[in-house]
Order: sequence, then structure tokens, then C-alpha cells
Amino acid sequence: MNWELIFSSAVYTSINAFAAAVCLFAVGLNVHVGYTGLLNFGQAGFAAVGAYAFAIPIIEYGWPWYAALGLVVVCSIALSLVLGLPTLRLRADYLAIVTIAAAEIIRYFVSSTRFTWLTGGTDGRQGWTEFFSDLNPWVDDDRFWIGAQTFDGYRLWMMVLGWTVVAVVSVLVWALMRSPWGRVLKSIREDEDAARALGKNVVAFKLQSLIIGGLIGSLGGLLLAAQTQAATPGQFAPNLTFICFTVIIIGGLGRAKGPIVGTMIFFFVYGFVDTLLSQATRRDKLPDWLVATDNFSQVKFIVAGVALAALVVFRPQGIFGDRREQVFDVR
Amino acid sequence: MLAVPIGFLLADFGVAAAQDEDTNQTLGGRVQNEFEEDGEEVREGVADVRIVVETPDGTLIAEGVTDEGGQYSIAVPEAGTYNVRLDTESLPEGITIPEGETEVYEAVNIPANSNTTRVFFLGEDLRQAESKWSQFLPTLANGFKLAMIIAITSVGLSLIFGTTGLSNFAHGEMVTLGALVAWGLNRSWASWSLLPAAIVAIVVTAVVGGLFELGVWRPLRHRGTSLTSMMIVSIGIALAARHLYLFLAGGALEQYSQYTLQPDLIDLGPIEYPPRSLWIICISGAVIIGVALFLLKARFGKAIRAVSDNPELASSSGIDSDRVILLVWILGGALAGLGGVMYGLEYGIRWDMGFTLLLLMFAAITLGGLGNPFGALIGSLVIGMFVELWTFVVPNANDMKNVGALVALIIILLIRPQGILGSKERIG
Repeated sequence: MNWELIFSSAVYTSINAFAAAVCLFAVGLNVHVGYTGLLNFGQAGFAAVGAYAFAIPIIEYGWPWYAALGLVVVCSIALSLVLGLPTLRLRADYLAIVTIAAAEIIRYFVSSTRFTWLTGGTDGRQGWTEFFSDLNPWVDDDRFWIGAQTFDGYRLWMMVLGWTVVAVVSVLVWALMRSPWGRVLKSIREDEDAARALGKNVVAFKLQSLIIGGLIGSLGGLLLAAQTQAATPGQFAPNLTFICFTVIIIGGLGRAKGPIVGTMIFFFVYGFVDTLLSQATRRDKLPDWLVATDNFSQVKFIVAGVALAALVVFRPQGIFGDRREQVFDVR
Repeated sequence: MLAVPIGFLLADFGVAAAQDEDTNQTLGGRVQNEFEEDGEEVREGVADVRIVVETPDGTLIAEGVTDEGGQYSIAVPEAGTYNVRLDTESLPEGITIPEGETEVYEAVNIPANSNTTRVFFLGEDLRQAESKWSQFLPTLANGFKLAMIIAITSVGLSLIFGTTGLSNFAHGEMVTLGALVAWGLNRSWASWSLLPAAIVAIVVTAVVGGLFELGVWRPLRHRGTSLTSMMIVSIGIALAARHLYLFLAGGALEQYSQYTLQPDLIDLGPIEYPPRSLWIICISGAVIIGVALFLLKARFGKAIRAVSDNPELASSSGIDSDRVILLVWILGGALAGLGGVMYGLEYGIRWDMGFTLLLLMFAAITLGGLGNPFGALIGSLVIGMFVELWTFVVPNANDMKNVGALVALIIILLIRPQGILGSKERIG
């Protein structure tokens, strides 16, 4: 077993461009779930909107990047309104069901053969990431490494860019949540009726929270697709949202650094399990009836699912969290 | 499944070949040119057209060329799901693929030991006007069949929601479990006949449902864990279970060994079903009537409805609500297992089939009124029809079937959030 590779790969997985994008995506989800108590299970839909609304106008219509980014903002807000208006007055699980349904509608739409001319079908769209390459201070194809794990200059750049955006957005969210506006969100999370009794328009505040968290999620989706240089429907499967729930619960809900801590811990374990099993399989350390050729890559999802269930039951405040900030017992 | 969207008749009959170790599957069909001559409709085969079987990323698997009569037959080395493409450059001059016709059949499932058929149409399209409405009743029949399967599975989900308040996201995985256990006994670990395999599968899902109630949900309820937490726990369990299935059973779309290839349809006047679909509808109908009678007449059934209505009142009138809830989990598990076997028989068995179905089930029970088992039946009927009719209204959108149901779900929540049979107090 190549332990150096296993550890360096786990470290790389926990800080690479993918982790940064997922972390940004989780920061948005934390605004919904952690601060406002909105159970948004369709964050992957926001991410898909972010990626495709940026990619399509650039390839198909030659828009400049800032116009495409503007379209991302418009589409993301529109999605928040479509999701929020029918459901925010209803009980929490309605929002959960509707958001997951909406995210699936978007995924079916972008992977449908009927819209291949626009979305590229299951192959997705490529060739819109020139903007990111142009800004890259490193050379796209240069090799870099962490221990035994190598990666190219484009990944390094997307990693640095991703974590920078995460840092800026996290500070913004932190400041926002200390403001009177943020305190209203938390009061809604703690006791919606009390907030309403104090004259706050609860639905309006929830909608604003949905929009802000959704925008951050869309930005995360954009980075998620950009770091692979392609927007494909497979990136935005419901699993992405479920994994992010695990991430924000590990890091502690309703804390600005929660998503960052959660991402690093989660993806370290994720990368560790994956590389360990891939090494063990390749070296025939595991019995054939159990592990065939590549099914070990499913184990990390099994771990993520069990971790999600176990955390909610045994440690809902997360690893470093504060029990007072955990939100699941509101209703 | 004979879903025929507008514009292209998609013949999807499979004919069973002899079962042996070396699989032997072919893709065949015809390339035909259609045009009108002197007011007469003429169909002629087009020779020397190249047909390509390839993977979605474009790797060539097999190819063939049409003969004098426009017929082609290609031996496919391995069963699987491929794209079947007509090479437009090989077409004779002057012949084109008209608007609305396809040059690629995407994601064609070519099962082992079978003969899959795909027909390419060229030239003017002569079928459009008549074919749309002639497909209306068959589409409706397909919708009804799907509705009956959704109904079987969603009644359990609805009962669980009614008695415990939990939106159980792991219910879809229960459906998959039923289908997979039956498949394992029927095809993978053993080669049982499907009927005993299905019965064992139903028993297994019932037991698993009961064990989860005893091992997870009851302790959580007694600890006072909130429903939202429990919902997230169910999502975690579902995520783990789904990938456990993928880990153990692989990612392919599997079929049972019996009843899947039934070319002789039973004629029921305007519509026709293969025998297995008719059986599925009859079994679902009988089970649904049985469950309804049980809920309305039997002591335990009445107790279930009492706990659904008001758990505190039910407890204080001497109903042991823990026992009732355990029964609901067992019943829900059994129904999910049965639904899973039937869904697998119609549409194939796959690790994520339950998750796809889960969203339809949620749409159905929300539509019918959360927590009301009779509402779940009505909701399932509407959703099943909606899924199939969507392909009728929107052509060439087979891969977007479920979108119709999910859009319906969102619209219903806008107009009537309590659903068709729901009561207002449950929603706020």
C-alpha cells in the first residue's frame, strides 16, 4: 500500500478546486438551513442554474463574462421565487419535497436529448472556461504536486480562486448574520411565530434568505463546473445536496466557518476512503466477491449517508458546534 | 413498454432467444423512405445505408449496412445501452431525414439474447396526422399501469406519514430492495421462479420495515427527536442504502428472467396490454381494495386511521400507538416490496429506481392530501396519467417523463396546498 499517496491524495481532495466549489455551495446551503431553518434539498438545482446560465450564453451567443454572470444572478433569483412563493408559507417538509423536485426537473431538462442543441444533453457543454484560463497566473498545463498527488496549473488556479471566493463570501455572510437582518433570520429559525408576533414579515425574510443562499449556491455550481472545464448534468445530481448537508452538519450549522471546516473534514475522509479502497483493490487485498473492479468508489457515498444519519441523531451540533445553534428541533 | 411518442413509431418488441451462457443479441430493423405518389402512400426500403451502434461518448460498438429491401441486422457483441445512429452521409442523394424524424435513437437498451428493433424513417412524414390521436388511448393505458404501481407504493408512504408525521425519504429504497431481492433470487444468486421470489422479497421488505421502526424510528420518537431531524436521518439512510445497492448489484438496468418478453398482447377493445401488465393492474387493484377495506372495516385498520387523525386522542382511548405504527411500517414495507417487483417487471431493475419513484410517490401523496391513504390513491392515478400524457403533449421527450409529474406537484402546492383530500390544519 502506498500510504504516502493515500494521505497526500486525501489532503488534496480536502482542499482541491472541487472541495472549494462544494464549500461555496455549502455556504449558501448554510444560509438556508443553518441560519434560517429552511430545508432546501434542491441546492443542486441552484448550482446547475449557475453553471448552465453562465456556459450557454458564452458558447451559443458569445456574451461577455459579466453579462453571463448577470444572467446567472437573474436565473438564480427567478428560481428562488418559483420555489419560495408556493412553499414558504407551508410546513418545512413541503419545501424539502418541492426543492428536490425542482432540482430534478432542472437536471432532467439539461440532460434531455430534446434540448441537446442548447445544453449538450448528458455530455454537457464545454469550451466556455476560457475566461478562467485567461486570468490564470500559472500555465494551464504545468504540473504541481502535494506529496505524491499531482495536478495541473488550471486546477491550482481554480483551487486558489475557489477558496478566495469562499473566504470573501464567508466573511460577508458572517457580517450579514450579525446585522439586524441576520438576527431576524435566526429568530425565524428559533421561533417563527414569535418573529411574526414582533411584526416581522416572515415570508419576505425567508424569501430573501432563499435568494441569497441560492445565489451563493449558483456561484458554487459555476465554480464546480468551471474546475472540470465542462458543465454536465451528472455534476448536479441530488447526491451533491445530500453531501452538502453532511458537510454543514459536520462543521456546525449556523456558523460562518462551519462549511469550511465541514468540507475539509468530510473530503479528507472521502478522499482517504476512496484512495485506500482503490489501492487495496488494485493490490488484491480485498476479496473478489466483495469488491469487483470499480464498485469501491460507491463506498464513500455509503459512508456519507451513514455519517449524515448518525450526526443528526448523535451530534446534531456538528463536531465543534454549539448545541444552541442547532436548528432541527424547531418544529 | 410501448410508449409511442408523436412522429416516430418506435418498435420495441423483443423476441426471446435460447438461453445459453454466450449471449447473442442483435439489433435489426429497416430504413424506409416514405413519399406520396399519385395520392398513394409509398414506402420503400433504402439500400446501402450505414447504421452505427455506439456508446454515448461515441465509441463504435458495431455497425451494419441495409440490404436491397432496406433491412439491416447487426450482431451486438455485448448487451447494454447504446445509441443507434443512422450515418446521414451514407444516404443516397436526394433523400433526407425530415423534420421531426430521428437519425439517432439514444439510450437503446439491447438486452442479452434478444432481437431489438429500430426503424428509421426518411422522406416525407405521412404518419403524423393520424398517429397522434391513435396513440392517445395506448398512452392513457400506460399511464394507468404506472399509476397502479405508484399507488401500491405510495399508500405505505402515506400511512407512515399519517401515523408518524415522517416524510420518509428512504421509502424509495424499500421499493428497490423488494425489486432487488426478487431479482437476486430469480436471476442472480438463484434461479427461482419469479412468483416465490416475489413473495420472499415482500416478506424481506416487510421485516426490514419493521426492524427499522424498532431499531431506529421508535427510539428516536421516544427521545423526542424532531420530525425534521428524522427526515434528514431518512435521507442519510436512503443515500447509504442506494449506494450499497449500487455497490452490491452494479449499475446496469436488469430484467427478470420471466414474463419480460411478451409479444402477444391481450386485446381489450381500444387498448391492449401484454399479459404481465394486465396481471400487475389486477394484483394492484385487488391489493388496493384489500388495504382500503382493511382501513375501513378491520379493528387494526380503524386504529391506524385513529392514530393518523389524532395520536394523543387515540392513545387516551386505549390504542397502543406504538403497535399501530409498527404495523404500519410492516405493511408499508410489504407494499413497497410488492410495488418494487412490479415496477421492476415493467421498467427494469436498477439501483436508483426507488429514488426516481420516490419523487413520483411524494408528488402523488402531496397531490392527494398528505397523510390520507385514499388521497394517495387518487394522487397516484393523476400522477401516473400525467407522466405518460406528458410524452403525448411534448413530443420527443421520453427522458423528461417525470418532469410532468413534478411540475404538477409544484402547481398543486400553489393552488391547493392541502391536496385533493387533505385537511387544512396539516399544512401550516
